[in-house]
Amino acid sequence: MASHGLTYDGCNFFRQRLVLSTLSGKRVKIKNIRSKDDDPGLRDFEASFIRLLDKVTNGSRIEINQTGTVLFYQPGLLHGGPIEHDCNTQRSIGYYLEALLMLAPFMKTSLKATLRGVTNDPSDPTVDLLKSTALPVMKKFGIDGDGFELKVLKRGMAPGGGGEVVFTCPVRRTIRPVQLTDPGKIKRIRGVAYSVRVSPQMANRIVESARGVLNQFIPDIYIHTDHMKGPNSGKSPGFGLTLVAETLNGSFLSAEMASTPQGQGDPILPEDLGRNCAKLLLEEVYR
Amino acid sequence: MDGKVKEQKRHQQKHSGPKAEKKKLRKQGGTTEEDGRRRNPKAFAVQSAVRMAKTFHRAQDIKAKKHHIPLVDRTPLEPPPIVIVVVGPPKVGKSTLIRCLIKNFTRQKLGDICGPVTIVSGKKRRLTFMECNNDINTMIDLAKVADLVLMLIDASFGFEMETFEFLNICQVHGFPRIMGVLTHLDAFKNNKTLRKTKKNLKHRFWTEVYQGAKLFYLSGMVYGEYQTQEVKNLGRFISVMKFRPLVWQTSHPYVLVDRMEDLTDPEKVRTDPKCDRTVSLYGYLRGTYLKNKGQVHIPGVGDFQVADVNFLPDPCSLPDAQKKRALNEKERLLYAPMAGVGGVVYDKDAVYIDLPANHVNQQQEEVRPTTELVQSLIDTHATLDAKMAASKVSLFSGSAFLDPTDIDEQSGENGGLQEKHVWDPNIQRKRRKVVFNEDDGEEEESGSSDDEDDADSDQEEQEEDEDEDEDNLSTFLKEARAKSDGTPPVKKKKLEEGKEEMPVFADSEDELEMSEEEREAGRTGDSGHCSEEDEEDDEESGDESMEEEEDAANATLTKQTASESEEEEEEEEEEGALRWKEGLQQKASEAFLRQQEAAPNLRKLVYGSVAEAADSEDEEEELGGLFRVSRPQNSKKFQANALDCSRFNPDTSHDWDLEEMLNSIRDCFVTGKWDENQDAATLLKEDEELYGDFEDLETGEVHKGQTGNQDPAEQDSENDEADDDDDEAEESQVKVDDEQVQKNKRLEKKRRLKERFNAEYDDEDATYFDDLKEEMQKQAELNRAEFEDVDDETRVQYEGFRPGMYVRLEISSIPCEFVTNFDPHYPIILGGLSSGEGNVGYLQMRLKKHRWHSRILKTRDPLILSLGWRRFQTIPLYHIEDHNGRHRLLKYTPQHMHCGASIWGPVTPQGTGFLAVQSVTGTKANFRIAATGVILDLDKSVTIVKKLKLIGYPYKIFKNTSFVKGMFNTVLEVAKFEGASVRTVSGVRGQIKKALSTPPGAYRATFEDRLLMSDIVFLRSWYPVSVPQLYNPVTSLLLPVGQKDSWEGMRTVGQLKHDLGIRNKPNTDSLYKPVVRAQRRFNPLHIPKELQKALPFKSKPKQQQPQGKTPKDLQRPSVIREPQERKVAALLNALSTVHHHKKKKAHTVKHAKHKEFLQQKEKQEEAKLKRQKEARKKLYRVMGQMDQKKQRSSLKGAPQDD
Repeated sequence: MASHGLTYDGCNFFRQRLVLSTLSGKRVKIKNIRSKDDDPGLRDFEASFIRLLDKVTNGSRIEINQTGTVLFYQPGLLHGGPIEHDCNTQRSIGYYLEALLMLAPFMKTSLKATLRGVTNDPSDPTVDLLKSTALPVMKKFGIDGDGFELKVLKRGMAPGGGGEVVFTCPVRRTIRPVQLTDPGKIKRIRGVAYSVRVSPQMANRIVESARGVLNQFIPDIYIHTDHMKGPNSGKSPGFGLTLVAETLNGSFLSAEMASTPQGQGDPILPEDLGRNCAKLLLEEVYR
Repeated sequence: MDGKVKEQKRHQQKHSGPKAEKKKLRKQGGTTEEDGRRRNPKAFAVQSAVRMAKTFHRAQDIKAKKHHIPLVDRTPLEPPPIVIVVVGPPKVGKSTLIRCLIKNFTRQKLGDICGPVTIVSGKKRRLTFMECNNDINTMIDLAKVADLVLMLIDASFGFEMETFEFLNICQVHGFPRIMGVLTHLDAFKNNKTLRKTKKNLKHRFWTEVYQGAKLFYLSGMVYGEYQTQEVKNLGRFISVMKFRPLVWQTSHPYVLVDRMEDLTDPEKVRTDPKCDRTVSLYGYLRGTYLKNKGQVHIPGVGDFQVADVNFLPDPCSLPDAQKKRALNEKERLLYAPMAGVGGVVYDKDAVYIDLPANHVNQQQEEVRPTTELVQSLIDTHATLDAKMAASKVSLFSGSAFLDPTDIDEQSGENGGLQEKHVWDPNIQRKRRKVVFNEDDGEEEESGSSDDEDDADSDQEEQEEDEDEDEDNLSTFLKEARAKSDGTPPVKKKKLEEGKEEMPVFADSEDELEMSEEEREAGRTGDSGHCSEEDEEDDEESGDESMEEEEDAANATLTKQTASESEEEEEEEEEEGALRWKEGLQQKASEAFLRQQEAAPNLRKLVYGSVAEAADSEDEEEELGGLFRVSRPQNSKKFQANALDCSRFNPDTSHDWDLEEMLNSIRDCFVTGKWDENQDAATLLKEDEELYGDFEDLETGEVHKGQTGNQDPAEQDSENDEADDDDDEAEESQVKVDDEQVQKNKRLEKKRRLKERFNAEYDDEDATYFDDLKEEMQKQAELNRAEFEDVDDETRVQYEGFRPGMYVRLEISSIPCEFVTNFDPHYPIILGGLSSGEGNVGYLQMRLKKHRWHSRILKTRDPLILSLGWRRFQTIPLYHIEDHNGRHRLLKYTPQHMHCGASIWGPVTPQGTGFLAVQSVTGTKANFRIAATGVILDLDKSVTIVKKLKLIGYPYKIFKNTSFVKGMFNTVLEVAKFEGASVRTVSGVRGQIKKALSTPPGAYRATFEDRLLMSDIVFLRSWYPVSVPQLYNPVTSLLLPVGQKDSWEGMRTVGQLKHDLGIRNKPNTDSLYKPVVRAQRRFNPLHIPKELQKALPFKSKPKQQQPQGKTPKDLQRPSVIREPQERKVAALLNALSTVHHHKKKKAHTVKHAKHKEFLQQKEKQEEAKLKRQKEARKKLYRVMGQMDQKKQRSSLKGAPQDD
């Protein structure tokens, strides 16, 4: 058939390109992926992402050259169903989940994705953040129902991983148009302070410091502490905070921060983390 | 009938009495149902609760049935013309009807109905008539685009197959409005038969369409036309008809092409007559919005990428003024370019004027310009200004009679339609600049010079023997150049200079600056129809391209300054050249500039902010989207491989410990300061008198901006006051002093009151359905308002081309047969494909053989499907779902049942209907539609299986274990089937255990019972069947004129065998042979000696040994008589013979006598019986009489007897 594909250079916006290609059914060719790099070609996490795409679709064709610098992707049909995927630990599950969020409503059968890997790391939007912001926003578009949820079964911090997340999404044929031109005023702030394989007190310390910053604006602040133990706590220690400000019109502003992964850089105090995270939220509000 | 004979009595109205009083009361509105209810409550009392519930239920059911899911109304304000397809078998009067209707609406007579004819029928309605011939391809195509179908039926003949075929096609592809028209009603002489026929036809028609479908009667012809009054009535029906939206039509853009132009370079056609053509197709866009550069399917040709889409001024526009009731003569427009009607034809950059032959023949150059101009001015219905603004007008006048010959030389095949248009070689190319050639002499010259150029170039080609590519390039460049300038004389000289340089610059490096510029101009000439990739390339090149793209038409690769100066020069020269009507020209040039400004780069419009963001070295901009990387950047490589992360890292330059910073965002929280009309306090206050403003128009961000400007001190003070609500309220009240504000408030108050009123009184019976409808209504309004005041150019960039626009689609690389074999009687439809519909994959569908099709369909026999826009041949596999969800292959479709079918075909949304025909060639006597169905599932894999039985034989049997051979060939194969269950013919079940080393493929199996050596072991398995990947679009439009209904694709095996005369060798075992039966031999019975002894003598086998020769002593001697004795013996013999004879004779006589005697005796007996019977009868009668007497007497009481 005569559908000409698109050609891109470089691995920037890798996920967007593949996701949009999948949704539009147009084939895509990405050339020169890190071709001048010391370590050329696709990284492991990108390969893992491609594998995930392959799992949710049916009949997609993927060709990668030997060095991994050229990728050809011919999308298949979005199939869905129950899938399991071991995400690469270089990037957190959020990296994969963001793409799935975009694809999930347009599957053939409702998606039930079990993703394993790093749930929280400093570089990517964490699972908690997506749960508290992306899901409500998608609900506005008419994607709701009982099957629409994101559950964190196990929490796995950055270097080791070992977390597990279940994302289920029903199928929607149409999405509602949304009129959201006015963000409205912030009516409440919610958050999750989590800690794994460290003292459970860490979470409380984070909450304290974050509240200290935010309390000057609004009294309606509630930050959960989520300490996971035993097999649910993944492989590496760490802690972090996710803050979400909800406005009257139902839009969400968020900020988050996680402790630096074990063995990478300077450790951070939970108090500092809480305070910085709260400031990040303020920055987000300011923008 | 004879009403005059019997004068019926008039109705006498009562003026007094109870009836009259009742009537009077009713007229006054006194007694209503309510009244009756009050007067006689018992009659309306609830008799039975169940019944009441049932009634209510039923009423609600009926109510709910009327509801449709409300959809957002997306119909454009100016809808496209309604497509009216006139269908019917041949010689039923289709063309006559169209002609009559056109005459009825426009007062114009049309000769041959060729292609679609568009007319303005009313103030708000336009109609496009299309005649559908008897070819099933046409019927299928037109059924997909029809809004209204006029189904002509020859009443004198009755229904024909075509009618039913078309109805069935319609049912599959969404049911358009269908109106039957009975013709040839004058063939009936007898009034009663006429009435009967009408009734019969009507009822049959109703069963097909729906009960009560309109069937129109055209009684007879007057001077070869239908009766005016009847046509008028039919026209009224058409012009008030409402249409239902059909799913496929409303979700896909489509164009019923009413004009086609070949844009191919004539040079290319000359060198290679079979080269792929570039054509432009024109028509009204229907359905939904059409995106530029989308994919379209042309049924009968194939899939194509649209190179370019433009909208043109409406050639058949609706009248502007809406005050009048009727249209005046000038507003009754008719547009049918394929039929050669509609004087002026507009192209994107040119106007064609179709002159009658006598006009063309007068070749006086002084006269012609005036006629043309006058004519063009007369015939155009929009103002000149509007047209100028919309299309870059260039009037080609002189070349009319010059060029047809030119064209004929270059492409001899161009026939049919093209002859009707005025041709110019310049037109064959797309242009980017406005050219005004009002002066005829100059035009003449330019045309001739062009010809000379061509000749020149030809000569040069011959001389220089350059490569083909270079030739093409040079001609291309030349033409582009010829177009790029305004062809005033001065300029042309320059050009010619450049031309002389031409062959040199193709090779040498020292080019003139001039020619370089022109080359660039030429190259930009086709930037409009470059593919997406090209566009990106364009954008990558040069930093300035961003700026330049503002005038997309003129985007050049070189420095802008040069080209600009060039432009100016040109304009000046143009002005010099054009003397007369300067105002017009000026306006046009202004319009041109305006248009250039108004047509900005789409990408820049959409991602304008991104470009800015990209400049500000912010790499992880989340808005970046898809196109960021292709943007030219200094640090491109670095950018291209950036970390793909959606997280935004804000620059933490702000110190959030500072109080000012905190204050700056304080108002973003609910606890912060509100807008005056949002503040709770003010609202409370206002609420008492006027209901405060909930609607928030100012965004938080804007608000924040304002507060940011305020000095912090004031903010602080305000914040302090925030606790004290009343104070602040007062303050805000003080602020509101402005009169304007007051007025607004009053208006607001009114609105609010009204809203409240509505809410109070309307909401009582508001249901979910009403809410939903209202929501949809709101959305529709919003959609409409969004682009309302944007001009078309920009609007088209945002939302695509609106349905109702007259568009011109350019398609490159269309097969040459499309142009050479063009037949305007066949519809050309451009069906837009939505995303993904251009792909091919496996489709699962539910299929049912049509009950009127005579034969069942065979798996793997090619079938022609009509699905979506497409018609294609494919190989279906029929299957049926078993109880466990397995799809089992069927050899044939079931007779009267649905079955599944899997094909390899174009991906089409689920739920789309399709129909299948076995062949599209010719007309057969029987029903052509073989099957109908619906798409169930799209998949890239198939799951059809067929049963496979593997057979093996036991060769060694232990108790319940057997060794089986012959089922597999290797150990590996067995290993794959370990644990599989097997069975014998006699029903003994077992399991494969393990492979044996020898013989290869043998295995050990255990069974539930001991096998016999004669048993056959088999393994039932399911073998997946692959669907053959045949997708063969029906290219009926490419066939030569007159043979368009003779498309033949892949033949079925049966057809092939029949055509080639091949017959299958039958299995010799299945043949009949003469029966030869061997003689049966039975072995002698052998009884053991012991048994013999025990047997009685009677049953003992007798010694029946062959006697052999009797010994001499036992042989009896033969008697030899003496002559005397012989005589005696002879005598005795004779005597005994005589005696025997006598005895026999006597016996027969005796026998006869006895027989006679017996007969006599029988007769006597009979007589005796008769006698006795009579006697008995008599006796009984007497007895009966006596009895009766006795009875009578006893009944009488018989006192006297006793």
